[in-house]
Amino acid sequence: MTLDRLFNVARKEFSDHITSRRFIIILALFLVISAISIHEGIEQYNDNLESYNEQLQYMAEEKVDGPYAGWMPEKPSVMYIFMSMMSYMTGLGGILAIAIGFDLVSKEKESRSLKTLLSHPIYRDEIINGKVLGGVGALGFAMVLALALSIAMLLVFSVVPTLDEFAAILIFGVVSLGFLIAYFAVAITMSTVAKESGNALIYTLVIFFVVSSLLPVFGTIAADTLAGDPPEPPEMGPMPTPRGEVVRASSGGGYFVSSSSQSVVYGGTDDPAWRDYEEARKAYTEKRRFINDVSNILSPQTNYYRVAMAVTNPRLATMMYTVYGPEMQETPGGLADALGQVWMNIAALIVFPSVFFAATYVKFMRMDIR
Amino acid sequence: MIKTENLTKVYNGKTAVDGLNLEVGEGEIFGFLGPNGAGKSTTILMLTGMIEPTGGRCLVDGIEVAKDPLQVKKIIGYLPEDVGFYGNMTGEQNLDYFARFYGMNAKERKDRIAELLDLVHLGGVTQKAGEYSRGMKQRLGLAQALINDPNVLFLDEPTANLDPEGVREYRDLVEHLAAEGKTVFVSSHILSEVREVCRTVGLLAKGKLVAQGTLDEVARTLAPADGDAVRIVVETREHLPDIADPEIVAVERNGNRAVFRAKTDIRDRLAATLLDQGLHVREMRIEEPDIEDVFMAAYQR
Repeated sequence: MTLDRLFNVARKEFSDHITSRRFIIILALFLVISAISIHEGIEQYNDNLESYNEQLQYMAEEKVDGPYAGWMPEKPSVMYIFMSMMSYMTGLGGILAIAIGFDLVSKEKESRSLKTLLSHPIYRDEIINGKVLGGVGALGFAMVLALALSIAMLLVFSVVPTLDEFAAILIFGVVSLGFLIAYFAVAITMSTVAKESGNALIYTLVIFFVVSSLLPVFGTIAADTLAGDPPEPPEMGPMPTPRGEVVRASSGGGYFVSSSSQSVVYGGTDDPAWRDYEEARKAYTEKRRFINDVSNILSPQTNYYRVAMAVTNPRLATMMYTVYGPEMQETPGGLADALGQVWMNIAALIVFPSVFFAATYVKFMRMDIR
Repeated sequence: MIKTENLTKVYNGKTAVDGLNLEVGEGEIFGFLGPNGAGKSTTILMLTGMIEPTGGRCLVDGIEVAKDPLQVKKIIGYLPEDVGFYGNMTGEQNLDYFARFYGMNAKERKDRIAELLDLVHLGGVTQKAGEYSRGMKQRLGLAQALINDPNVLFLDEPTANLDPEGVREYRDLVEHLAAEGKTVFVSSHILSEVREVCRTVGLLAKGKLVAQGTLDEVARTLAPADGDAVRIVVETREHLPDIADPEIVAVERNGNRAVFRAKTDIRDRLAATLLDQGLHVREMRIEEPDIEDVFMAAYQR
């Protein structure tokens, strides 16, 4: 395989994508919604920043006692603005990826251009790899535009990301691109398998629906069924008391480090029945989560949400994964720790498209071109 | 220039091409005849390196196609049946895309494409290929097959979508290419078309080569074996009387006209006999078997 031929195919495919009406319309919609959500995010960010400043002032002026003693408000991160991009990325982004992939091979079969192309000095693997490269390039182009627009809007509204935040924005872009590639891989596989583009689109949408909507439901049902009934608390036991020092934060609006309502860890009792109950409850919850995770690992949406959450809000992501964990820390880790906790989801985001690309490759190499 | 040795292709247990042995010399215009489904296109796909044979091998200019398809593709041109293009690109853009696979620089591509578009009367056409008529696509197909100035040209049903003017131009082009020393392999199920341009033909039926040679040779090979009889058509001014000759096998009479089936050419004796009887001969000739009928019979075997 020579790169010249591969790049010739990729260049043509990339050019076809970015000049196609379908791509331009969806991309335009994608950018408009990006701009709107970023604008809303910036407003929210500014509100949170104002509250943070007020809180800092309050903490400096007032002496706080009790479980809230020593708490520090958390400065809102610019990355919270990007959380709003996650929801439409999984919808419109997925549609964009499907739109550029579903007829990539089937259209060439229908128009018979594939046969004409193959009569020239090029191997089949160069064609399919070039098509993948061109498609990924077009999605990358869309992602770069969306991020450039977002950063431009941040600067216009005088929100300047720090170097770390800028790095996190780039990582968010890469993760989002990974999600788009996952559905692009599904679409191109179906395009290779199906004889007609219409069928390829239907097959792709069915898979999109199954992995995005049915799998999470299936995971919950499977967890309910396989984990059994939750353990019953012991009768007449003492009421648990919250241990204030381990209260964790939600920081949903970026206002406080903690809101005291999210995850109270019970403890401080010497009653063996309660201890047993707590252990059983913890084992039960972890079992449920494991079953749910196994099912959801096949869903690019779920994987994307978890990884993107780790990037945009590492503190919350860490907390979500350590609700019952004894490893809970006073100061949850940063981006690296959060990403470390979702390594399986990152791996799944890589493995999912790889499997579909491999299937595409095998099918395309064996395709009957009569 | 083109050679196949026991070439075989089996699709899902069905033999499409069955032990084909074929040889086409350099500079020949070879007609590959056969009914639809005979295996012509499958043979061409193997010869052009687009599918691999199940058995046997094929060589183009001494290169074994299955072993080095890319090298073969560099020296051949191929016009597929129902040729297709990228509908969102103009003819020029389509040709430019294909030309890039031959390592041609921008100027070479531009000059070659302009030359070819003029050749197929598509110069100055700015329409997208998706808006082309079938005839225009066929012309563009011919241009893309010639983009690399190939030594060997494979044409699969080349006149299928052409109007009479296009057919005439295609014939001139093929003659011109052959005069340049190029080998042209024309696959068709239309005998009249092959007859017009091809010097040698091969007849394929049910995946097997039934005959190969010049048209006359093939026609003789395929002629029904009815005792090697010679058919002599005779017409006289007067009513034809009975003629006794030991060589005559049968006579079909119709007034003053008759067709004699004889073991050998007895025209001289027949003429003398008729002259002796005072008859005036209007016509006397050997009736060749109709080539269309011969091929049709071979198709149906």
